[in-house]
Amino acid sequence: MNSAVMKKTMYWFVVPALLFYLVFWIYPILKLFHYSITDYNGFVQDYNYIGLDNFRQIFKEGIAGTSLSNSLIYTVIFVVFSNLVSLGLAFLLNMNIRAIGLYRTAAYIPTLFSAIVVGFIWSYVYMPESGLLATVLSWFGLNGADLNLLGSYGTALYAITAVDVWKHIGTTTVIYLAGLQTVPHDLIEAGKMDGAGSWQITRLIRLPMLATSITINVTLSLINGLKAFDYPFIMTNGGPGRATSTLLVDIFRIAFKEMQYGKASALAVVSFTVIILITTFFVLKLNKREVSA
Amino acid sequence: MKSPAARTLVHIGISAILLLNLLPLIIALSSSFRTIKNMTNPLQLFSEFSLESYRAAFTKMHFLQALTNSLVLTVTSVIVVVVIASMAAYPIARLNNRLSKFLYLFFLSGLVVPSQMVIIPIVQTIQGLHIPSSQYTPILMFITCSIPFSSFLYSGFIKSSVPIEVEESALIDGAGLLRRFWQIVFPLLLPVTVSVIITQGVWIWNDYFFNMIFISKAAHSPLPLAMLGFMGDQTNPTAWNVLFAACFLCALPLLVIFAFLQKYFIGGLTVGSVKG
Repeated sequence: MNSAVMKKTMYWFVVPALLFYLVFWIYPILKLFHYSITDYNGFVQDYNYIGLDNFRQIFKEGIAGTSLSNSLIYTVIFVVFSNLVSLGLAFLLNMNIRAIGLYRTAAYIPTLFSAIVVGFIWSYVYMPESGLLATVLSWFGLNGADLNLLGSYGTALYAITAVDVWKHIGTTTVIYLAGLQTVPHDLIEAGKMDGAGSWQITRLIRLPMLATSITINVTLSLINGLKAFDYPFIMTNGGPGRATSTLLVDIFRIAFKEMQYGKASALAVVSFTVIILITTFFVLKLNKREVSA
Repeated sequence: MKSPAARTLVHIGISAILLLNLLPLIIALSSSFRTIKNMTNPLQLFSEFSLESYRAAFTKMHFLQALTNSLVLTVTSVIVVVVIASMAAYPIARLNNRLSKFLYLFFLSGLVVPSQMVIIPIVQTIQGLHIPSSQYTPILMFITCSIPFSSFLYSGFIKSSVPIEVEESALIDGAGLLRRFWQIVFPLLLPVTVSVIITQGVWIWNDYFFNMIFISKAAHSPLPLAMLGFMGDQTNPTAWNVLFAACFLCALPLLVIFAFLQKYFIGGLTVGSVKG
């Protein structure tokens, strides 16, 4: 009955969503490519085509290099830590003990807070002298007053990435938990009968069964890491110097503060390419593994 | 893990990990209940219960006004998203040809593009269409950015869990496409609809970026944007108690909803994500 029932007229149903998507998402993205070869400042619609000058500039001035490496470091730390911590937490929260519902709720709570609220609260945590970390360290007789995680070049990027990891653990854990709950009990029982220890059961039964959840979480955290913007924007404004300037923070700064929209667009085109390439590579790779698992 | 001692140990371990995880929030909560002038060590937890800081934050962020604005923005956007994303997913899931496959990937690829990157052309497009920049403008972007993920969830669910056979009786009755979708298919999509409402509702409620770009009047600010008024206070210990009170006022509505609908929040995240 397929062809008779499922007529092409159904495609009319796509039109409302497609209109929004084309007008407010795809068209602006195409505009970005157009602006990247102009000296447009974002306001006066009178601009010249300058070829690849913007691209040459962002690479020569080292803007693309720094923000690209900041974003990549952020992404690697974010993907690795948010997945490892969440996976560990999911194993803990999958135990059959009392009050487990309460524990799961507690683990999920940070995800409900707005990035702006999280940014404020963690700025307090990292504050030198009177902040949370500084105070706790001074209890142990360590010198917490000099600890300025957000203010020093070497640590700022890691400090803001940690905030993002903290915010996302809840979501990632819930997806791993759901994955763990699909592992059939008889499979684990069979493993035990065959004399497998709990580590072997985890390694040989649970982890392979988690393949789907791993793919989803790694992909989502990858995209999230490459899109890093909120915490550098709220907590450090890209600083100190350019230590926490991720791709998006730089694009935003060049466009809105320096009013060089053409240049910002060129950086956006570079970011766009990098994001698409990395995401596609990992999605294809992960999907392949998943099938074979 | 049979012995009571081992069990107690596990409980202590998990509690410790989670308390450590929630420590920043616990300290912020405790400080928010202090009087505004109390700047002594914030780590003396819950040594004082005063609503003074809340009163100050409530007035400074125009809480009721901001709450109403947040509600209007979120509810409107989410309703439109549910309607248009479920509709879009229907042919994508049901028809099996090149166009439907293309549309599926076309929508999905939108997920990887960050909004901060395209914001200037977006603002121009909106101006070019002579859509006035008002308190409702962010709704357009909330809808647009929710389409990729929502239609992905809907089409996955229709493919896996809504067999064509359920539409048979309606077909025999000669029902049109619209009636078939709204009366038979859409009600079966309830688990995804719950998931879309929660996942998209939470990000829209918490978003400050589009609001910051489009809303300029304080009276039009939703809650997260009202929080921007406290920018700078986080590095000033004398302003902490009021700032933390504001943080919790901002989070309160979602926390209350979460308290009542917990299982939907946690279940909603995993619809379509785990196929076993």
